[in-house]
Amino acid sequence: MRDLLSAEWMKAWTGRTWLIIAASGAFMCLLASLGYTSGIDKKITEQHMDLSTVTDDSVRAWMMTLLFASLFGAVFVTREYTAGTIGRSVLLSGSRARLFTAKALVGTAMGALSGLLAVALAFATTWGALAASGHSPEITRETWLIAAGILACNVFAGPWGVLLGWIIRHQVGAVVTLLALTLLVDPALQQLAPDVAKFLLTIAMSSVYRDAKPDLLPEPIAVVVIAGWLAAAWFGARKLFLARDIT
Amino acid sequence: MNGDCVLGLRGLTKRFGTMTAVEDVSFEVRSGRVVGLLGRNGAGKTTSLRMLLGLTRATAGTATVFGHPYQDLPRAAHRVGVSMDGINPLPGTTARRELRVWARALGLPSSRADEVLGQVGLDDRADRRVKGYSTGMKQRLALATALLPDPELLVLDEPANGLDPDGIRWLRTTLRSLASEGRTVLVSSHLLAEIEQTVDDVVVVQRTLRYAGSLDELTSGGTRALEDRFFELVGSPTVRENTGA
Repeated sequence: MRDLLSAEWMKAWTGRTWLIIAASGAFMCLLASLGYTSGIDKKITEQHMDLSTVTDDSVRAWMMTLLFASLFGAVFVTREYTAGTIGRSVLLSGSRARLFTAKALVGTAMGALSGLLAVALAFATTWGALAASGHSPEITRETWLIAAGILACNVFAGPWGVLLGWIIRHQVGAVVTLLALTLLVDPALQQLAPDVAKFLLTIAMSSVYRDAKPDLLPEPIAVVVIAGWLAAAWFGARKLFLARDIT
Repeated sequence: MNGDCVLGLRGLTKRFGTMTAVEDVSFEVRSGRVVGLLGRNGAGKTTSLRMLLGLTRATAGTATVFGHPYQDLPRAAHRVGVSMDGINPLPGTTARRELRVWARALGLPSSRADEVLGQVGLDDRADRRVKGYSTGMKQRLALATALLPDPELLVLDEPANGLDPDGIRWLRTTLRSLASEGRTVLVSSHLLAEIEQTVDDVVVVQRTLRYAGSLDELTSGGTRALEDRFFELVGSPTVRENTGA
């Protein structure tokens, strides 16, 4: 299994997919973070925001990296179907079950790397943006909890993308599904039926990175809900991958 | 089953909905032989090979490699080398990196990748992106990947497609050389003249099995052309059956 994990890790860094996804995610989060820190003096004097709130909002803006961690996971699997590499992977991995597990573990590791990068950039950009206007970030326990939540959500998002990739097996389909779920479907359901929507994966994740929205689950329950979604996706994806023809 | 039987198909059938791609195909391949799997496009050659390798599930029948279904064969990836139509390199990779990924998956040293690159004549272009390779170079890379584990059995699906005359001669020499080392080769093709110069045994399929035996017997000791015998077995193109793979 160690050899297979090592090979999958090499695959993850093959090509420019990781770079494009990481750069896109960082760019979007940077824009959002700068949005929170711009006009800081006006926010403090006219909107009575304190520096710690601005710091927290700016750091929290990097939660969007979870979407890109899941996109990487999905593309990591589906590009093999698109390129026609999946057959080779199945033939050389020993068994489909081993390949399935190896991809999920590498997707999780890439999610963890994405989370660490997100946290580092969140603090760096917040510090840089505030310093540019003569302020220093006010980092509190809440800031650290938000950062830990972003890291955790990236770790969850990596395998979530991988598992959806196994189910959908189509690169565009998987990317569109993840974008639609994260940016449209789940937020819309949260508006329409918040009591139900709080059990959706991405809304449960917003509990973990301590979003300020109302009607969110307490963090421990949110983690259990996320684990439930991942377990269901694992079971469904594995069953399908073991049963379906490799095409 | 005979003691030196390397692979065997028994009653193998594959249906896609109402379309039957492969029907009741049975044959065996013996150790150390080069066997040509012949048929028109869509005759079921690739589907048969995919069932043999466990990539596609058979509707009925069984396929075994060294006495086991591929997925149950211990160290299958080390014993069977595969170059299959529709199996392509990793996106965005070079030949060297591609082979190093698979070498790592097999637990082989990276130097093995360099060895097979030399064996197929790609060592001077190994660090170019595969995307820019010609079809012939991609075929050589596919064969290099198949040779990576130094397998006992090679399953090659249409390996001559896209090769220029030099490449075809090289492939013929390589296959004979591999057989002389005691390896078994199952090679599918529709290039009859080429196969005639390369193989020991022939399997002809056109959805169903039409012939399985020695080339010598099929061509009456070389007095008849393989092409003529092939069309006698599968029918002329004008009465071509509605089949697919």
